[in-house]
Amino acid sequence: METAQLNLEPATDIPHDNRYYLNMGPQHPSTHGVLRVLLEMDGEYIINPQPVLGYGHRMHEKMAEHKNWMAFMPNTGRMDYAAALPYNHGYVALYERLCGIEVPERAEYIRVITSELNRLVSHHLWLGAFLLDLGAFTPILYTFIDREKVLDILEDITGSRLTYCYFRVGGVSKDIDDKFVERTREFIKYQRQRFDVYNKLVTGNIIFIKRAEGVGVISKDMALRYGVTGPVARGSGINYDVRKNEPYSVYSKFDFEIPLGQNGDSLDRYMVRLNEMEQSLRIIEQALDQLPEGPYLAKAPKKLKMPVGDSSFSVEAARGELTYYMISGGGDIPYRLKIRVPSYSNLSVLPELGQGILLSDLVTAMGSLDLVIPEIDR
Amino acid sequence: MHPATEKLVSLLKEKSFAVEACDYAQRGYHLEIDLEADRLRELAQCLLAEEMYLVFVGGLHVAPAIEVVYQFASYDRACRLVVRVAADGDNKVPTISDIYHGANWHERETRDFFGVDFVGHPNLIPLILAEEDVDLKPLLKADDDLKESAALRWVTVEEQPETEEKADKD
Repeated sequence: METAQLNLEPATDIPHDNRYYLNMGPQHPSTHGVLRVLLEMDGEYIINPQPVLGYGHRMHEKMAEHKNWMAFMPNTGRMDYAAALPYNHGYVALYERLCGIEVPERAEYIRVITSELNRLVSHHLWLGAFLLDLGAFTPILYTFIDREKVLDILEDITGSRLTYCYFRVGGVSKDIDDKFVERTREFIKYQRQRFDVYNKLVTGNIIFIKRAEGVGVISKDMALRYGVTGPVARGSGINYDVRKNEPYSVYSKFDFEIPLGQNGDSLDRYMVRLNEMEQSLRIIEQALDQLPEGPYLAKAPKKLKMPVGDSSFSVEAARGELTYYMISGGGDIPYRLKIRVPSYSNLSVLPELGQGILLSDLVTAMGSLDLVIPEIDR
Repeated sequence: MHPATEKLVSLLKEKSFAVEACDYAQRGYHLEIDLEADRLRELAQCLLAEEMYLVFVGGLHVAPAIEVVYQFASYDRACRLVVRVAADGDNKVPTISDIYHGANWHERETRDFFGVDFVGHPNLIPLILAEEDVDLKPLLKADDDLKESAALRWVTVEEQPETEEKADKD
């Protein structure tokens, strides 16, 4: 019987080092979605990480060119599924800006309250998932208890728990009631106590600090070159928040701070998001106190007649700056809608960020970027 | 206008870029520039030096040539700038991905959706679309839908029609 000859001669065309390629994803738990990162490795160290996108691409921008505003509304909740309300917000606000539609004040308050609740939900999810990436299983159980409470509150009002389609051009689809206000106030009190639990469980944990401190540093210059926004930019000490820079809706009426980091490492980004949760609570509290009476939906024409021209609207989504840029040729369907999503630019730093770091540190760095892949793929 | 924005405008005018102020309330940005493709890189360098970050790069299929739209903004004040560049006959526009590193992906995406060739881009391969869809160009308009570039620009704003009577009853 013939046997295959084993070639025991060392191959001469392969360089004698430890370089190899490694696929992280598209089904890897710490990518939180179908993201593939093609890693060129040297032993445990990464030489060149290249994200491969598009596994969940749905071409929302093309769909927008064939639908009127209401028909496209559900799409806006399906990009950043973890924080869909800011996506609702930017979209309806763009139409309102373009068509000059006035929104009742109560509706703006409701929008701010629900958007901030949604930001909290998103940060709960991130906090749990980020620590899960680092090997800590317990925190996600705690954050999900808290997350469920907010989701229950939002579900009563919006009718959904995840992919919200609640805002309308001219207001919101349903008014909030006393029960909502009461439950939200109760939740604020409850959540403030929970920060102590988070801090005891995670923030002071020496293993967590050792794994996050100094890992995945994004300098101010790097953030500028890549157009990084949101908590990632603020972790690098860039005082930029659309809610403060270009106050939309009624954000200018509330007193809140923008938490900033100094070093731009994963720990700073963690601290920024954690402190942001408290600021969201402050905004909600003030909005509930000042909540005006009145209509929750303006009378807007069912078929919007848009003027010819382009318009842009930016909101602060949970992950950073979300910009809708629309070019209208008249009629009620956009000629073109460009959607700028925050995670896209935030992830684009990865090839530079991941150079020369350990594979396990890349997991930390990616977790601290708070990526939502369907928003990147759109 | 913010003093720093005024400074930026005078700097851009000094370099003879045709920068114009816009009505922010309706358009959501403060400044716009219609630019020749050969001056794009000069502008990008100038804006990076002024610490404007790149918000997005997007395409727009219009007649006679595909336009590439860039939006820049500032981290420390409300200042948004929209730059429009018309591609040449071969759909070519110079890359700014070596100036603004974030443009790398935005340009690859625009190449995917519109087939714009960003000259000098180091790695202009499909990013969002699959490799076999390299020539799909999904955001190109059908001939019937294609509009002139000039027909999509702001003109004097018409009054919005009052609420339709039908909607009143809802």
